[in-house]
Amino acid sequence: MPDINALKLEAKRILREGIVDVVVGFKPGDSPLHPQPAFFRNEDEVEELIHNGLCKNNLANYLTRLPKQEKVGILVRGCENRSVNSLIVESQKERDDLYLIGIPCEGIIDWRRIVEQAGEHISMVEDNESEVTVHAPTGVNSYNRFDLLHESCQRCLHRNPVSADTLIGDPVANGSLELATQKVKNFESQDIEARYAFFQKEAERCIRCYACREACPSCYCTECFVDHNTPRWTESGATPAGMQGWHIVRAFHQSGRCTSCGACERACPMDIKMTYLTEKLNHDMREKYNFECGMDAETKPPFQTVTLDDKNRFFVGGGK
Amino acid sequence: MTAKAKIALFQCRWCLFSPADQEWVDTQLPENIHLTKTPCTGKINPLYLLNAIQGGADGIMISGCLPEQCHFKTGNLAARRQLEEFNDFLHYIGYEKERVHFLWLDLQDRGIIQKELAAFEAELEAMGSTQHLATRVMRAEGGENA
Repeated sequence: MPDINALKLEAKRILREGIVDVVVGFKPGDSPLHPQPAFFRNEDEVEELIHNGLCKNNLANYLTRLPKQEKVGILVRGCENRSVNSLIVESQKERDDLYLIGIPCEGIIDWRRIVEQAGEHISMVEDNESEVTVHAPTGVNSYNRFDLLHESCQRCLHRNPVSADTLIGDPVANGSLELATQKVKNFESQDIEARYAFFQKEAERCIRCYACREACPSCYCTECFVDHNTPRWTESGATPAGMQGWHIVRAFHQSGRCTSCGACERACPMDIKMTYLTEKLNHDMREKYNFECGMDAETKPPFQTVTLDDKNRFFVGGGK
Repeated sequence: MTAKAKIALFQCRWCLFSPADQEWVDTQLPENIHLTKTPCTGKINPLYLLNAIQGGADGIMISGCLPEQCHFKTGNLAARRQLEEFNDFLHYIGYEKERVHFLWLDLQDRGIIQKELAAFEAELEAMGSTQHLATRVMRAEGGENA
């Protein structure tokens, strides 16, 4: 857990010294389960700053929403740092306009799992190293922290910020590649009927609210392909074809750009699983092009770079 | 399958070097093959494929040039990366991989596209139609799509 006082001191310092115009962080929300993203523009406001395992948004999302000329200080965990790097690669923000306060991350707690186990109306959540104590009307209970983590955090590969200006807290152990790719491999090992049945079951619950798009730092297009109507790229209605199309193409637009933060899945009001789609694309990028999104601020994703090196994978007549 | 398999053919306008082949594709394509001519395979957005599938195509053929023979130098390389990945991705969520067929043609190739189309059609007819991935159903046919 990061030392909250050290975070506040650092945030105050960069605001006071004029290094940044605004610090993006979290403040308490309506419920202890939902801290909300906040923008701190002066030192007094920073007193409200919090950071704990329930902060579920990917803050890099706000870099493209803030005015371009502003210098931004931002609290970054491993995934957020990589999202920031990927935005810099895509020329959405200059690195010089950013100040990254790095926080080694021990995983984001999935509030849905707390509600599942402890019920509604939770008054307080104490987040310790290995266990989480939940104060609910039904009583005070402790749970194993790892079991409450969001799925993408359980299999997280890069927990430490990779290019932060300052690091608050000690680095934590990174995850294993085996665990990170296990989900995709398990899904791939199922037969084609089972895979389609799962996809269909998940996609048909979609209500087309686009919360996944709004929560994603990589989804910053002024006009999304589903909103474009002359010509219409795809079905935009809540029909089976439309919902499947949205799920396929939303995920596919993340190929080589997704940092597996899982913000899309946490934002979904229908609790639709969708990280299994982007994980597959990340897995392929790793296998085919040895590319890991956001590890530095220079390397372009595979679809933006083409080389004759992979010409041997062409074949005449469909490879027969 | 009683009716003939419906094929969406995406063709790069430079890939058929022989005028006779291009003439055949332009004028004598069988009715079950829907031709979309593009300036380069690099122009083919993965959404075109998805639209063809959702529009009821049983299979998709993409015909383009070999590397180093692209009219625009690297269009086919970019297309190959994206479309191959898109096909793998569709396979991952349960669409048969064999329904998307890539045909990369050499400048010297003559009369290959006719044979390939016939073979692909036979293959699709053997596979039958697929229920995987929802297709658009228009209101006139009792569906929800306008």
